[in-house]
Amino acid sequence: MNTPELCTYMTHGAVMPFCKGCGHSNILKKLNDALVKLNLNPHDVCLVTDIGCIGLADALFDKVHTVHTTHGRSTGFATGIAVADKVLASDKLKTIVLIGDGGSMIGLLHIVNAALMNVDVTVIVANNFLFGMTGGQTSSLTPEHFNTVTSPFGSMNPSLDICQIADASKAGFIARKTATDKDLTDVISEAIDFSGFSIVEVLELCTEHGTKRNDLKGNMLLKMAEEEGHKIGVIKNSPVRPEFSKKYETDVNSHKGEIKPLKYINPKFVHNLKKPNGIIISGSAGERVQSTAAMLAEAALMCGLEVTQKNDNPVTQGSGFSLSEVIISPGEINYTGVASADYVIVVSENGLREIKNQDIFNRINDKTIFIVDDSLTIEKKGLNVISLPLRKYCGGDKAAVGAVDYVIRKFEPFQHNAIKLLLEKRFGEYEKIFKEEYYKL
Amino acid sequence: MNTTTKKLALRNGNQMTAEGAIKAGCKFFAGYPITPASGIYKGLIDLLPLNNGIAISSPDEISALAYCVGASMRGVKAMTATSGPGWALMIETVQYAMITETPVVICVVQRLGPCTGGATQGAQGDILITEFASSGGYTIPVLYPTNSKECYELTVEAFNWAEKYRTPVVLLSDKEVGMTTESLDYNKLNATPNANRHVITDHDADYANWKMYGFDSPDMITKFAPVGGKVKVTATGSAHNANGYLKKNDPETLATLKHLEDKIQAHRDEMVLVKEDHEEDADTLVISFGITARTMKDSVIKARTKGRKVSSLTIFSIFPIPEKAILKAAKGCKNIVIAEENINGQYRMLLEPLLKNFNVTGINKLGSMITPDEILERIVQL
Ligand code: SF4
Ligand SMILES: [Mg+2]
Repeated sequence: MNTPELCTYMTHGAVMPFCKGCGHSNILKKLNDALVKLNLNPHDVCLVTDIGCIGLADALFDKVHTVHTTHGRSTGFATGIAVADKVLASDKLKTIVLIGDGGSMIGLLHIVNAALMNVDVTVIVANNFLFGMTGGQTSSLTPEHFNTVTSPFGSMNPSLDICQIADASKAGFIARKTATDKDLTDVISEAIDFSGFSIVEVLELCTEHGTKRNDLKGNMLLKMAEEEGHKIGVIKNSPVRPEFSKKYETDVNSHKGEIKPLKYINPKFVHNLKKPNGIIISGSAGERVQSTAAMLAEAALMCGLEVTQKNDNPVTQGSGFSLSEVIISPGEINYTGVASADYVIVVSENGLREIKNQDIFNRINDKTIFIVDDSLTIEKKGLNVISLPLRKYCGGDKAAVGAVDYVIRKFEPFQHNAIKLLLEKRFGEYEKIFKEEYYKL
Repeated sequence: MNTTTKKLALRNGNQMTAEGAIKAGCKFFAGYPITPASGIYKGLIDLLPLNNGIAISSPDEISALAYCVGASMRGVKAMTATSGPGWALMIETVQYAMITETPVVICVVQRLGPCTGGATQGAQGDILITEFASSGGYTIPVLYPTNSKECYELTVEAFNWAEKYRTPVVLLSDKEVGMTTESLDYNKLNATPNANRHVITDHDADYANWKMYGFDSPDMITKFAPVGGKVKVTATGSAHNANGYLKKNDPETLATLKHLEDKIQAHRDEMVLVKEDHEEDADTLVISFGITARTMKDSVIKARTKGRKVSSLTIFSIFPIPEKAILKAAKGCKNIVIAEENINGQYRMLLEPLLKNFNVTGINKLGSMITPDEILERIVQL
């Protein structure tokens, strides 16, 4: 039994809530001893647990912070705690996860990602080869042939080597021990002291569900691990990778000056609109449809107009159609769709197909002007179509740009100088953006 | 035009949500990409380092929210963003935030469901799954902006509610609000001042009587103890007593659970954000939220030019349901029209018992925005 002095972290005289002979009692005592050995301030320790018998540990540690979480997710919560502590707060906290074999699989990606990030978290996996709390069911860490209540003829699958998973996830400290190992305290304290992610898998027995169903004696645990091809002892102790917060400092924080602040726009041009104009631009992905719409929107804003721009594309952003709906208005814009278009710009086959798909012909009026590349034919009769060799004079990648520029030049919803300025910023001298013939259109 | 008083930019709702988070004092973001919410993730990856915070990438949505809740437990304001499929994965974790009374903000930018649904199609079909995401049916406060300006302002409000009431808060939006770019005057942004959780310290006068989840009255919000501070934290997602220890069949434990709901109900009158466009002698009230509330505005303008007497109510604080404000707006009307872009009229289902003395109808749609004419037609029919 621990003396009061040794119970700096654990409740003095705590009665272990586990079944007789359960390996958990030993693991927790060793964890307490490891904390004593490291002489950590109890306020600088956080135990993160989850569901399963080992998760009852939080009630036994009445001096340190305890966070009891959802099944298997303890490492996820611990990662948030540790990152926030190291990067944003005291940078003193030691975050320790206690998880069972069942939980370690449902929460495996949290363990993998914590290891990849190299956050300062220690994960102790209490592996008794089954789900103890729920009645002794097979887990992903149950060895092949091991008998459990849900594998009465022996488990069919080999067990997961979580230490190898940790290794593949570039963890710096990896150990597999048994609960009765004399040096367990030392190994756990080494793991906690390790700067960065560490994992200690502790093999143990569930006396309630594991021992009865299996022929377990002597050094069976080691034998079982051996048969599964799992290494024993301190498998890796390599503090080469910097702990997350140090890496963050060099890789991100030191670059933050490179992020450009937002530039506000000053309306220095004027517009001629008395009512909102709706412009639909339809073309192919990768041919600047949406970025042209954005330029149109910005130019309108530079003229003091209210603007909305709504984009549409298939789930893959780089193929198929690309369509933008832009509204420019002297007053507030509520509904953001173009209900009755003033201009419909179609610059490619994909764009034409989408105009039909989206039933745009039902969203026009008798004044709607269609600006269409001359390679395309719109079968529908009675439309005001202006057919232009846009792809020929502007290239496929700037056909939409040319069309928008044309609309503003010819119909002057706002000062052409606004879009001209943006075009020059983007493509250089205005007169050289497109082929000579374009400017005569 | 007075150009000196304007700070114009083209911004979408997701970008302004990210900026709102910065204004609110958010210091931690964890993200997992999903259309149409990814813009918030990208926004905060750029903005947080500049504002003494950190944004990280997570391997899935469960991790994203778990990271945020962990960071908030350490004492910093945290947020994540997702859409329907990701919200489905977060549902267990959001309940953890709820039961541990950990402030956190989750942005849910709706897209077409069910399941993977339509990534690039808007929808308002997650009203019920957002609100009723907890076993036991505890209230999750939900705010719903209609444009990029409100995305900024309501993100601040979402953080303030999370901090004041120690609860997860959802900022609900949709593809159209989140991804539609619009002109915005930064000088017109009008956010409420930041609220911060009250932290317990070991030299506070009330420390002697403080308990992890203790309370004296239904409206009391327990002072928060950060992990790593001098006051020991005992947090758990299991039913617990006031000290934070797992207890079964215990009156104190049940009272502690009940308090999770009671504290929200006790403060619900402070959580009302609506905008009423009242018309004298109106016989019809149109109610909407999010992108459809914008459509509603146009419909109401058109209906009035046709001589119809119609009022409208935009609801920003969709949960807790602002019942008094709704009844006040409905007063004197005969007809209520509730417009929302989902197949079953999710919000209408919840309002019907409240509005049993009115002729309530819904306008619903799947796959694209409700148009002004669709609402107008109904108003004219009534
Ligand atoms: S059921 Fe198994 S794991 Fe749980 S306390 Fe009993 S022996 Fe230990
Ligand atoms: Mg187990």
